[in-house]
Amino acid sequence: MRRAIHPQQTQAFFVRGPSPFSRLVLFAALSLTLMATDSRLHYLTEIRQGFIALLHPLQMIANAPFNAYQSTQEYFSTHNTLLKENTALKQQALFQSAELQRLKSLESENANLRNLLGAAEVVSQPAKLGEILHMGRDPFVHRIVVNLGAHHDIVAGQAVIDGAGVIGQVTRVYPFSSEVTLITDKDLAIPIQIERNNLRAIAFGHGRDTSIDLPYLPANVDIRKGDKLVTSGIDGIYPTGLAVAEVVSVSSNANSPFAHIVCKPVAGIENHRQVLLLGLQQPEVASGVAANTANIAKEAAAKAMASKATTQPKPVQPVKPTTPAKPLAPVNTPPSTSPLAKPNASH
Amino acid sequence: MQVIKLPSIYLSLLMALILQILPWSGWGLLVRPDFVLLTLIYWLLRAPQLCNIGTAWFIGIIIDIATGGLFGQNALAYAFSAFFAVIYQRRLALFNIWQQAAYVFALLILTQATLLVLKLFAGGNSPGWIYFLPCVTGILLWQLVIFSRIGIDGQTGKN
Repeated sequence: MRRAIHPQQTQAFFVRGPSPFSRLVLFAALSLTLMATDSRLHYLTEIRQGFIALLHPLQMIANAPFNAYQSTQEYFSTHNTLLKENTALKQQALFQSAELQRLKSLESENANLRNLLGAAEVVSQPAKLGEILHMGRDPFVHRIVVNLGAHHDIVAGQAVIDGAGVIGQVTRVYPFSSEVTLITDKDLAIPIQIERNNLRAIAFGHGRDTSIDLPYLPANVDIRKGDKLVTSGIDGIYPTGLAVAEVVSVSSNANSPFAHIVCKPVAGIENHRQVLLLGLQQPEVASGVAANTANIAKEAAAKAMASKATTQPKPVQPVKPTTPAKPLAPVNTPPSTSPLAKPNASH
Repeated sequence: MQVIKLPSIYLSLLMALILQILPWSGWGLLVRPDFVLLTLIYWLLRAPQLCNIGTAWFIGIIIDIATGGLFGQNALAYAFSAFFAVIYQRRLALFNIWQQAAYVFALLILTQATLLVLKLFAGGNSPGWIYFLPCVTGILLWQLVIFSRIGIDGQTGKN
């Protein structure tokens, strides 16, 4: 008989320490405790960060062959391909500079309009360029790991984009790397707007494959195949107007009151290695609006007082300047509550 | 038969760990065998006095940290498989190659199934049959190693 493995015989043939079953009970209890602590109480974040810093050299070793392969491949890329790439990039830069000029004029126009309305300035978000270290170790979890971490002032919650659109959100930060949950993940929701008709909705990752769902929308909703989804910006995480996905199919089922809408993300998660991590918007935005309206009200009051002092017989004026502050009032309430509440209510 | 030393066990486990955390992607990630588990099972069957359920649990914890999964899920799955490997270790050593391969395959399936149950509890959705692909590639790798006798007991021939 052929035997594959020859176990090593020891002197202590009968003395083998604690029985396997008692060992199993001990370690199963330990890991169950750890799992409960990790998933429910979130105590282990710091410990995990410490250990992952210890494992960092190991990760570097594991990534080394891949990196070496890539750098040699880049080294041996031919003159011809470089030239081609260069011309393509130049063309792209030209197109984009034209668009950028338009954007600048639009921005100034927008700033003027906002000034007129008295709304707060939209803060531009600082961005950091990161590189994808690896896709997640688990093929069934839609996560990637990028090479920026707590040492580069990355915090959980930051939006991550590439040249084409939104990729996801930073969900876990380690000292030298951070974990980004992709928009195709089942647990990630992103507030969006249909570009064509400004309809707001919330998109959820499908989880099974690389598509995005728009659940809880009525069967007669005005969404067509080919519609573009952009971020609505009401969440305070993603800036307004970033491309998210494109509608691939819209169908309705007689059994369900909701339309079945499938979208495909526009960002090339599989194609690029560089991503942009956008800084979080300052929470002052809402309070800024409040301060602004307060200022307007104050100014109005001051004007009214002044006008009162100079011209006595005009009691109509003090009422008038307070009106511009009125349409801004709803802005003070967190705008995200109403669209976010909708899908939960229809559950 | 040469005597197995503890450092060689840890070194092989470390190598398996590095193989496991290589930047796999796409199909490679789907079919990647569980190198660490295979190495663990091998040592559990070969030298249970040096590598036991505790070793399996600790290496599981290291994988949990490296993968960023739920803390302790791989540890629990590995401890389970290690338990079933250890209780039948003496009988298993008397099995022939194919019987052993079948048992190892069952252990690989058990680990994946345990992980799947834990993931479903944590709120994942069922990934389909493709989830068990690493078990198939794992058993193929196992048989490859057994057939080629790479450093199994210091002797390369048949017995």
